[in-house]
This record gives sequence, structure tokens and C-alpha cells, in this order.
Amino acid sequence: MSVPHFVVSNPGSHVILLGNEAIARGILEAGVIIGAGYPGTPSSEILSTLAKMYPYFSHLKIEWSINEKVAFEVAYGGSMSNVRSVACMKHVGVNVASDAFMTAAYAGARGGMVLVSADDPNCYSSQNEQDNRYYGLHALVPVFEPSTPQEAKDLIKYAFEFSENFQTVVLFRTTTRLNHGRGDVVLGEIEEIKREYGFDWDRSRWVCLPSHSRVLRLRLLERLKEISEFANDFPYNYLKISKKRLNGKRIGFVSAGVPYAHLIDALNHFGVKDYVSILKLGMVYPPPKKLIKKLFASVDKILVVEELEPFIENILKQIAYDEGLSKEIEIHGKDIFPQNGEFSAELYLENVADFMDLEYNGVQVPDDLIIMPPRLPILCPGCSHRASFYAIKQVEKKLKTKFVNSSDIGCYTLAVYKPLESLDTEVCMGGSIGFANGISKIQSKENPVLAILGDSTFFHSGIPGLINAVHNQNSILVMILDNRSTSMTGFQDNPGTGIKITKELGTKVNIEDLVMGCGVSPENLWVEDSNNLLEMIEKLEKAVKADGVRVFISRHTCSLVEANEFKTKKIVPPTVKVDPEKCKGCLICVNKFGCPSIIFDENEKKAIIEHDTCRGCKVCIDVCIHDAIYMEEE
Amino acid sequence: MELKSFNLLIVGIGGQGVIRAVQILAWAALLDNYKVRTAETHGMAQRGGSISSFLRFGNEVEGPLIPSGNSQVIIALEASEAVRNFRYANSNTIFLINNKVIIPPSVHLMNMEYPDLDSVQKFLEQISSNVFIINGHEEALKAGDIRSLNVYMLGVLVGSEKLPIKQKTLENSIRRFVPKKAQIINKIAFQNGIKNGKIIKEEIE
Repeated sequence: MSVPHFVVSNPGSHVILLGNEAIARGILEAGVIIGAGYPGTPSSEILSTLAKMYPYFSHLKIEWSINEKVAFEVAYGGSMSNVRSVACMKHVGVNVASDAFMTAAYAGARGGMVLVSADDPNCYSSQNEQDNRYYGLHALVPVFEPSTPQEAKDLIKYAFEFSENFQTVVLFRTTTRLNHGRGDVVLGEIEEIKREYGFDWDRSRWVCLPSHSRVLRLRLLERLKEISEFANDFPYNYLKISKKRLNGKRIGFVSAGVPYAHLIDALNHFGVKDYVSILKLGMVYPPPKKLIKKLFASVDKILVVEELEPFIENILKQIAYDEGLSKEIEIHGKDIFPQNGEFSAELYLENVADFMDLEYNGVQVPDDLIIMPPRLPILCPGCSHRASFYAIKQVEKKLKTKFVNSSDIGCYTLAVYKPLESLDTEVCMGGSIGFANGISKIQSKENPVLAILGDSTFFHSGIPGLINAVHNQNSILVMILDNRSTSMTGFQDNPGTGIKITKELGTKVNIEDLVMGCGVSPENLWVEDSNNLLEMIEKLEKAVKADGVRVFISRHTCSLVEANEFKTKKIVPPTVKVDPEKCKGCLICVNKFGCPSIIFDENEKKAIIEHDTCRGCKVCIDVCIHDAIYMEEE
Repeated sequence: MELKSFNLLIVGIGGQGVIRAVQILAWAALLDNYKVRTAETHGMAQRGGSISSFLRFGNEVEGPLIPSGNSQVIIALEASEAVRNFRYANSNTIFLINNKVIIPPSVHLMNMEYPDLDSVQKFLEQISSNVFIINGHEEALKAGDIRSLNVYMLGVLVGSEKLPIKQKTLENSIRRFVPKKAQIINKIAFQNGIKNGKIIKEEIE
């Protein structure tokens, strides 16, 4: 690809970067050495961009870790060793890392230590929209939040220096719109850190047993106090006071992150930016009390503009109460802006207009609306997951029963939609096996309990659940959909492929060995190519009927990865066709299997395979009960 | 350079080159010394899902999202996606619509109706009088590759003279973002697009 590598351009270059690329560039500029993370939308491009920088900057030590907890620990080990380190993950990943994070907050940072959390208001690609600013409040750790790609780059660079100055871990909170938006960025110098690296054997600090932790906690509280004081001079907190009034009122706004950028757009839209006072927080916790008090003294009413929880709003209200101002000053927030979802640009216009008594007419909707059926997210043509779920359904049908299909996070979650509709739970990474453990204690044998998860998810947090099932003799069938890739987040490699983030060769971990190492007996382990539908059904039936903890590895490379491999190796995939003479128009391939490459000709009442999109997986040949689908011989 | 903000929306489905088209425009806007913001919304699907990509540039842009009713131009690489995004348009918005409707496979499963090109056009004409159906699909194939559709549509936009970016800058940007072996095809597509855009220019109200 001829796509330019803007991220490694020279200092002073004016370029366009994705928010995540800007963050990666800031990390590079800060002289960071260790970067670790686990893929998760919308955070994944930060580490993969750092990995792309590696050929140019070989001092970088970047890895995809096995999960977010390990990623945080890897980075924290770097901090203990006096190097600047970063851990990157999506918001729910911080839950996984939180065990390490909460106590690392006590021991603090030696080399600059930043945890990047990519939150996802509106759940664009997540199971919840938790607000991770609370992790800062929870751990007593400062929370930084950028508004634009430029600020993201500058702020994260500064975060490492800040972390070392105050010996604190910094939580760097972003949201999807920042991570996945692009903006113009001026690149800065890459810092050269000159210092001794290495572990420091300070046991009173790194060994967090009770007698040490009590002391560390006092230090933590002291640190927070110092940071709170400094917050008033924090270079990315801005207070602009306007002496003007609008309709007789002095109006103030407080905001941070992406909402700040859209607030400014809304104020510009109405031409009222100079009429209001604005406090912009680059550090949302701890709050700059002096600046807030100054704002209180300059306005009659304040609107806090923030997505998700009333985090800043509650802080403001607390300060107003402490200052005895709760009656004098109106503080608005969640009474005006919603507590869920991402704010659309017009929502800012509506609410700013409403708050400031300005005129705003929304969009007129035409009378004759067209109802647009959604383009549902679907499994790709040739996706091996489709074949696996189709096999599961066939066995279910054959045994005249209903399985409990406890499932997990990954592309395969899309099997919840029509036509497969064969997924019963999805809550958190690795949860499929955990829930299956519990469900199997209650469910009778007539409804076999399956735990269905992908290869990367199994490595991430499926293994403890499997050992648990073996040890406690919870009778479940674990189905590992091993497509040799972490596809949903951008085809990252994992221990199963043995390729490292830098594309260098690592050590491969064999899933079969791992499963048997967890205590699963060899006769309770089945392996089959996901696309061999008939063998899959036959073996799966045996696995379902067997007793004890069973594991079925359904293996076939992700069809998108495979298509790319074919392209590089100049392999032409087989041509699969429908014989119109034999096709009865029964629609099984369209309405039960649901490969998007198979379409139905309504006039002829025959199925047709679209050659443009068909990947030649040949599964539909076995799906067709009339032998109408065949592979064209060369 | 006195431009406060220009808002443009490109919509289509995964794999059509929506995001690349916005990247090309964004880089060109930067070369013309504007502040630039872009954002995308797309579902979880790798291919075939709806994609809308926002571009904002000018001296007064901070956030990447366009408020409804505030997009000066909407380009649809797949016609029906313009309907999905109609709320970003106002009565002056210029719609450049590729003449192809791609019906999602789920429609068949759900037994639902999907609008055809005619009803897309009629619907959009309720909103703006500047709805132009472009034979982009054929033109891209004529240039040598369907994948030049996005660049062809950018050519139409340039020809219409409704884009406050210099043609030369945009050409530079296309060269930077298009793979080497596709340069000539895209150049042809762009030039043919401009020709078509000049015709449209006369019709814009």
C-alpha cells in the first residue's frame, strides 16, 4: 500500500492523524520504551501504530499481551525499571487490569506510567458504556482527557513527565470519537531520556503487603493533595472568564474531552463564544478548585457538558456545597444532557440554545419517510464461524434438543442474529466458560451446556474457567472457534499463531497441549476443520453425548486473513456454482445458512452464488440437500 | 482562507472506498491550510455494512461531527445510504448520488422492502432541489476499475465548483493516497468526473 506513514514524519510536520495515531506519536515523542496492550475497539490502533514505528525506532519494546491485566503489569514492570511505559486497552479491559491498577496506584510510578483507556459511549463496539473516569476517583489517580488529536498527542507526551514528577500512575481517558476521528496535528520532537534503567529493589515500595501498604496509602493521599494543588496550574486546564451577559445572565460552561470540541462548535454556531465563561479541563480529576471557585464567582449559572455519568457535575456541586454556594449558583448537567449514548452534534446546538435562550430550529423531516431496513452486521462470506454454528444447529436438530450456548466476545457474537440465532449469553471476555460452569450445575442432561469462544478469547481469560470445570467436575463442552486471528479488532496475531506484534517470530502456543495441560483427557478432545461440515457434525455429536469436561477445537483460518494469504501466494480459490437444473429453490442455503455470497433470484426461484464475493470455502456444497451446489473443475 | 467551516458527508457501504475518499479530501484540505476534522460511523461488519464519514474543515472547526441540517455536500457511493443520512441535509445541500442501490442480504430474511433508485431520488428531492444521480458505477468501470468510483465522485464534486479546495491540491492528495498501479485509472476517473461535474454545475440552484 502506498499509504503514507505520517506518524514517523519529522518534527514540525503538519499532518493528519487518527486520534489513536496521534496518541501513539505522543507516546513515541515522550521517549517511551515499553508499550503493552490487548486489542479492543476503539483502542487497538495505538499499539499497532507503535508497532509500525518499530522499524524506524528500534528502542521500542511493544507487545500484545495475553490480556489487559498482564498488559498493565508488563508496562508497570517497565515503570518499576525506570523506563517510561504505557498500557493501552478498551474501557472494559481496564476492569480486567483493575486488580493490578488499584494497588499500583499506591506504589506509584518510577518511570512514567500511563494507562490509556478507550471508552465507548453509545457502545459502538462494546458490551457496555462504562465511564472510566471513575477509575481515577476510585484509585486516587489523576485522569487526563484530550479533546482533539493534537491535544491527545501533546497531552499524553506531557503525561509521562507528569507521572514522573508526581510519581503517580496517570489514567488517560479517551472516547471512540477521539480514537477514531482524524485531525490536523503538528508533530513534535522525540525526547531522548538519559538515565540509568533497571529495577531498584525497593521492597518497601514494590512489596504491597499490609505493613507497607498502610504507609503507601498515606503517601498516595499526600500525592493526591499535591496534584490537587497543581491542578490550578495544570497547563491543559483553561479558564476563560467573560464579563459579558446574555439576557442579563452571566453564563458559564465546564467541559472536557470530545464534548468540549463540540461545545465550542455550538457556541461558534450561535456566535456567542465571547459571551460566556468556559472552564476546559485537560485533567478531569483531581479538580482545580481555585479555577472552579473563580468560575463560580464570575457566573450565575453553569452547564456541565460531559457524556455518560455526571462526573464533573458532581465534583462541581460538591465544591459549591463546601463553599456555601449551593444556593447562589445554578449547576446544570444531566438535567439537560442525557446520561447515555454519544451526543450528536445537533444535541449540543439544541441544548446550548435552550440553556442560553437562543433560537434554534431543528431539521424538518419530509412527510414521506422511507423506512430503511438496517444493514445488519453479518459474518463475512466464507467465515468459518458460520460453518461451526451451522454444525451446532444440525446436531441440536438431530438430537431433538436445545443446547445452552454460552458464548463470548468476538466476531462469532454475530451468530446471535438471523439466520443462525444460536447464541444464548455474551457478557464479558472468557465469560462463556465461567457461566457454563454455573449453568451446568443446574441444567439437566437433556440440554447440553456449551461454552463457545474464540482462540484469542480462550487465551485471554478462558483458561481459568476450563481448569475450574476440570477441577470441580462441571460437565461442559467447550468449543474453541480457532480462526487463528483476533479478527474483530483488526486481525491481530495471538499465541496460537506465534507471530508477535512486530511481525517477528515468537513462540507458538499449541491449544491442544494447553487444553490437555488444563486436565482435559485426550479422549475428550476433538479437533476438526470448521469447513468440513459433515465431519464436524459427526464429531460434534459424539462430543455432545460424551461425559465430563470436553473440548472441541473447530479450526479454520479467518476468511479475510485467508483471502489475503491467497492473494499474496497467488492462489485462486475454487469456483463454487449452483446447478439451476438441480436447485429446487428450497432456500436452505439462503435462509438457514445465510452466506451473503448466496443470493436468490426471485424470478427464476433459484439460488445464485456471487462469484465476486465468494471465497470458495465450499461449505454450502454440504449444506445443499439437493446436491445442486458444486465446485467447478479447472 | 476566510472559510469558517465546510461540512461534507460521504456515505456508502464497507469496501467502497468511503473512508479513503475522505482521507484524500482531508489531506487536501490540510494542504490548503485549513483546520481539519473527520469522523466515521460504521457497524461491526467488515464489509457490506453502512458507513458514513464526516469531513469538516475551515478556520472554526473543533469537533468532528456535523450537526443535522448542516452538511453542504452529501456524496453517496451507494444510493440508498443517502436516505439513511438525510437528516444532515438542508434545502441547499448538494447530493451527488451514485446510481446504484445495493440491497442488504438481511432484507430477504426479514421480508422487508428496500427502496429503488427512483424512490431514493424522489425522497431526497423533498429535501433539496440539488439532487444529482451520477452514473458513477459505469464511469468507474469505464476508467478501468470499479474501485475508482470514489475518486470519480470526487472529480464530479470538483467539477461542480462547490468544493473550496484547489483542484491541484486534490490531485496531489489523490496521488499520495492511491496505490501506484492504480494511479492512471484514478487519474482518468478523476478527469471524467470533473467533466460530468461541470455539467452539473450549470444545474445547481
